[in-house]
Amino acid sequence: MTRIRLAIAAALLVTASCSVIAAVMAPALADDQDFTLIERGRYVATAADCVACHSLPDGKPYAGGAALQTPFGTLVAPNITPDRETGIGNWTKEDLRRTLREGIGRGGKRLYPAMPYPAYTRMTDDDIHALWVYLQTLEPVSNAVEANQLPFPFNIRLLMAGWNLLNFEPSSFKSDPQKSEEWNRGAYLVQALGHCGTCHTPKSALGADDNDRALQGANLQAWYAPSITADKRQGIGNWSVDQLIAYLKTGANHQSLASGPMAEEIQNSSSKMTDADLKAIATYLLDQKPSEGKTLAPLAADDARMRTGGAVYTDTCMACHGGDGKGQTFLFPTLAGSGLVQADDPATLIRLVLDGSRAVATDSRPTGPAMPPLGWRLTDADVAAVVTYIRNSWSNAAPPVSAGDVAKVRKTLAQAN
Amino acid sequence: MKPSKSPNTGQPSVFHTSRRRFLATTAMGLVALTASGARAKLLFGTGLPWDSGSIEPPRQVLPGPWTFFTPREGELVEAIVERLIPADDLSVSGKDAGCAVFIDRQLSGHYGTSDRLYMKGPFQPGLPTQGDQTDLTPAKTYRQGLKALDDHCRRTMNGKSFTDLSPEQKDKLLTAMEAGEAKFEGPVGSGSLFSLLLQNTMEGFFADPIYGGNRDMVSWKMIGFPGTRYDYRDHVLKHNQKYTLPPVSIGGRGDWARKG
Repeated sequence: MTRIRLAIAAALLVTASCSVIAAVMAPALADDQDFTLIERGRYVATAADCVACHSLPDGKPYAGGAALQTPFGTLVAPNITPDRETGIGNWTKEDLRRTLREGIGRGGKRLYPAMPYPAYTRMTDDDIHALWVYLQTLEPVSNAVEANQLPFPFNIRLLMAGWNLLNFEPSSFKSDPQKSEEWNRGAYLVQALGHCGTCHTPKSALGADDNDRALQGANLQAWYAPSITADKRQGIGNWSVDQLIAYLKTGANHQSLASGPMAEEIQNSSSKMTDADLKAIATYLLDQKPSEGKTLAPLAADDARMRTGGAVYTDTCMACHGGDGKGQTFLFPTLAGSGLVQADDPATLIRLVLDGSRAVATDSRPTGPAMPPLGWRLTDADVAAVVTYIRNSWSNAAPPVSAGDVAKVRKTLAQAN
Repeated sequence: MKPSKSPNTGQPSVFHTSRRRFLATTAMGLVALTASGARAKLLFGTGLPWDSGSIEPPRQVLPGPWTFFTPREGELVEAIVERLIPADDLSVSGKDAGCAVFIDRQLSGHYGTSDRLYMKGPFQPGLPTQGDQTDLTPAKTYRQGLKALDDHCRRTMNGKSFTDLSPEQKDKLLTAMEAGEAKFEGPVGSGSLFSLLLQNTMEGFFADPIYGGNRDMVSWKMIGFPGTRYDYRDHVLKHNQKYTLPPVSIGGRGDWARKG
């Protein structure tokens, strides 16, 4: 009896010590071998679309990106694989946290806001931790990148101290207790990880987000990223939550097909996000209701520009987009009622007519239809007329476009191609 | 191949003696496969191939001096296309529609030199179904054929050249050429010159105006051809209604803004 009791006691003791050892060991193993955490970090990197800037189309992921043309000069996204020489192999988690939250890299190096730290500053510590753990699991790639290729004086990183003083304050995400959990998740994804405002929020002369007009559309790299607020004329206010989810998930919905920089975003990022997160984003965006400007009346149908534009449209565009501007779902975008078509800034619209574009191809919509370039066939005046026509037909209304506007876009494209 | 027996081992020698060679060949094949594999592009999931600015549109042919014909050849061809398509109540003449300009620009391009055709020997007479089997490019056919026509005219028409003939005389000579009955000197027969002229004149008359003929889309207006339109969804359900859209060329049409 005693012996049995002794044996049980011994067994219990061994079990207990094992548990204690396990408990002590566990945190040490957890970070770099915790599958769930690593996968969460991968998801954070996907939602933040790190790969878009930090990789070349044919290069190793995260090993450094292509040159980014900013109004101030050229910047290149650095190698963020854990390579000790050329990547972030020598970094600590604190270095990454400060980079994302404060725009200050290892050794006090100040970042340029082409790295969207004004958005990432709102990232949660948990997400930064997961991202850090995930980045550690990447294959180290030796690839030296000269990130700062700006001309003098913009190449002086210390300047950014002054810029930050004027335009940036490290902050954190503040949820709105009045709104649902879903809405707040969407707000976090849009404002922090997704950094939607980096493209869609108008910029000040210093290149900082104009937060009074958040997400109301902005022009960069010869594309106009349209309003993604619930503005009914220029934004996506006529889309339902499901229609917006379809756009972000598949690149195509009842109205539109994503192309240009948004095609890359969908391919790398939003098509790989969970349906719940996309629903959260849609819930948040469609609740952004800026005060809409005064109602615009469309140009009269007998206006000379409309008659000329109508002739060009009939001969050149109608075959795909239809006489009624309705296009063909999932193949040719619907021009009637489109926010991009009616945007005050017609840069993207002109660009699409001049240069064509290819829509994104995703697993759910693998076609990726293309629009041919028409700039060789249409003069600046032809393009101005036809763009004015589609902006003022089928209940659309937007300011007319001049041949000079078209000439400017044509020049920018000639420099880029 | 039938494997022969190796005299010493009795094993099939194709395996035995050439095993090393077989392995080497396989390895080379694998290298070749990998190399070609690296060039191949995975298209699924990335959409159709599309590059910005990669289009090579045709250039608008502009009126101006001949680029292939000598002035004399130009006169001859204009006189001929004016008889092949005479001006009447249906359309302007082939000359006024720009057919000679069209032919001239085609002959100075790759059509004239047969750059895109196999033009090495052997050259042997073929069956009619095998088409032209000579080493004559269209440019050579015109150069030598037009000279032969001029010579033939002066020889048989009391020293008159083709351009001096009355319309009736021209038609009579052209009819004789079509039948191959006009005896030309040189390698180009009157029949083959005529059939090439007729074919190219029709091409010039009906091709897009961007290539120099079919001026103002005259032939398209005549026959009701819509031009470079290709989608009629808006008209499919309009039964028993006249289709009223005017034709449009690759280069546009008059109602566009154009200038600017």
